[in-house]
Amino acid sequence: MSATLLAPSVEGRTGPAGWDHADASPTADHALIDIRDLWRVYHLGSVTVEALRGVSLQVHQGEFVAIVGPSGSGKSTLMNIIGCLDRPSAGSYVLAGTSVEGLSDDELARLRSREIGFVFQSYNLLARTSATDNVATPLLYQGVGRRERIERSRAALTELGLGERLDHLPSELSGGQQQRVAIARALVTNPSIILADEPTGNLDTASGVEVMARFHALHRQGRTIVLITHDHEVAAQAPRQVHVRDGQLV
Amino acid sequence: MSASELVRLALSRLAASRMRALLTMLGIIIGVGSVVALVAVGQGATAGISANLQSLGTNLLTVNAGASTSGFTRGAFGSATTLTVDDAAALAELDGVAALAPELSTSALVTAGDANETASIVGTNEDYARVRNYTVWQGSFLNGVSVDAGLRVAVIGSDTATNLGLGASDVGSDIRIAGIPFQLVGILQPKGTSGAASNDDIVLVPITAVQHYFNATDSVRSIAISVATSEQMDTVKAQATTLLRERHAIASGSSDDFTIADQAQLLESVDSISSLLTILLAGIASISLVVGGIGIMNIMLVSVRERTREIGIRKAIGARGRDILAQFLVEALTLSVIGGLIGVFLGVAVSMVVGQVAGWGFQFQPMTVLMAVGFSLLVGVVFGVWPARQAARLDPIVALRYE
Ligand SMILES: Nc1ncnc2c1ncn2[C@@H]1O[C@H](COP(=O)(O)OP(=O)(O)OP(=O)(O)O)[C@@H](O)[C@H]1O
Ligand SMILES: [Mg+2]
Repeated sequence: MSATLLAPSVEGRTGPAGWDHADASPTADHALIDIRDLWRVYHLGSVTVEALRGVSLQVHQGEFVAIVGPSGSGKSTLMNIIGCLDRPSAGSYVLAGTSVEGLSDDELARLRSREIGFVFQSYNLLARTSATDNVATPLLYQGVGRRERIERSRAALTELGLGERLDHLPSELSGGQQQRVAIARALVTNPSIILADEPTGNLDTASGVEVMARFHALHRQGRTIVLITHDHEVAAQAPRQVHVRDGQLV
Repeated sequence: MSASELVRLALSRLAASRMRALLTMLGIIIGVGSVVALVAVGQGATAGISANLQSLGTNLLTVNAGASTSGFTRGAFGSATTLTVDDAAALAELDGVAALAPELSTSALVTAGDANETASIVGTNEDYARVRNYTVWQGSFLNGVSVDAGLRVAVIGSDTATNLGLGASDVGSDIRIAGIPFQLVGILQPKGTSGAASNDDIVLVPITAVQHYFNATDSVRSIAISVATSEQMDTVKAQATTLLRERHAIASGSSDDFTIADQAQLLESVDSISSLLTILLAGIASISLVVGGIGIMNIMLVSVRERTREIGIRKAIGARGRDILAQFLVEALTLSVIGGLIGVFLGVAVSMVVGQVAGWGFQFQPMTVLMAVGFSLLVGVVFGVWPARQAARLDPIVALRYE
């Protein structure tokens, strides 16, 4: 990267911490999420699907970005890569100054656990597991004790208006309620980056407004939020919008 | 993740599908159960047989008429007539012989009042009780006078007494052996069974009486020798051999026309045979443990497939490969260990029942139990590791998309 190349020549003996300050293009290097010419290609037998075709995107600490685009344009694919669930086929992704390319699977898991809160398009709740335990599970992988896990999980669910549904299984919840459990699960770890794939897609207008209010509050707290949506009204609430079409930003 | 978290996770998972868990454990339950039961039964049987052999008498040498064939089988046992009363008398003179009793047996109908039974009649001397570890319950044993004089007196075993309806008050009355009246002078304490034959269904009379009334011969079937100390067993055995060969004028190079069985030897052989059998049976049973392990592996592999989505979700929200590995491995281990514990429980129960029925009691063997549980742990690890690795290696995105 330019920073690492430039730093020694500009400031001589500065250590790694000094590199950021030595950089000539602040947008590139102060970005929390720094994606450059990213490709994601799927091979299905003889067919190749280019889900992302040279995407470059920088998101700064504390930004609230809405990603909009038609179905199949590659939004979820991009989100999976930002969330360190998937790896790019080509291009670079630097998250908080670390190139994701060089990280092991375990290090990626650690990033997902500590830094990222994921709200999936299809909820992805653990079946046959209560709402409380679903929300508590990310904390389990952070090594939080059981009592604290349950407490924090209940608090997160209660904040999202699910105080009456703590012990329900996902199959006993409505789509919107499941969506809120999924949001609670993403928030319970206090992640610095929140990635939400259609978080309001299954909510009625009132709940949708509530959820958006929550994202705004998190944004005010300084969290970085990347939100995918079809809904232009929802997208309009975000300070910044990014449009995706056919695997490219437009 | 701590071990207790993993076990909690595994238990809640197994609780969610109890029937499946139970069926999966069945192989391990049967395997461990049969190993524990077979080892316990084997050891119980050995202990029982040894105790019976010991009850025959301590430091016992038995001289039998007839040449020995290989190993334990003796051709035409007892039919040879090479031992005589005089041989017995000569053997009694040897150093280290504490007591000696010749045995000349026959079987005859014994009658007491209306009751009768066919019993084994053993002609012997006054030392028989000491050599064979009998104690008198009522009356007295044969004495030197009656043996020397060939008196018609009899001492009967406790079973014989029961069968003939005789009790303490009948001591002194007459019983008939093959129609000939004998005076009942004593009844023996019960001693227990050795193998199929009862030691308590027996009628003891002076050897001289047997010779006189039933079997006009000078030969005896066997001579039981009680050696003073166990250290002297070998010397006495060797001296007895030399003495008998001399008396029977057996040329050097020819084989003996008698056999001397050493009780210690017999015990050792019984021990080694039964422990071999126990190992063999336990070995066969442990094959079912392996089969049980394969059953666990099979179910775990199915489980990994079924739960691919769950694995994807867990990875997406922060689980590392090793967390998933640990989760599935602990699940397999929980299955095998719970199965093992149930197996131990059943095995112990079975061996208690068998021990009770067979009469050798039950000894708890912590070592066997530890080994059985350890082995099922091992089975869990060996057969759980592969499915768990499959689970740990899944790519989160692929797993999340799995339907
Ligand atoms: N695992 C995969 N294998 C093959 N093709 C894939 C795979 N995942 C995604 N694609 C393809 O990549 C493209 C982008 O998919 P993606 O899920 O990112 O769309 P999206 O923008 O999130 O759509 P939607 O708004 O409907 O959720 C689609 O054409 C899809 O078929
Ligand atoms: Mg999508």
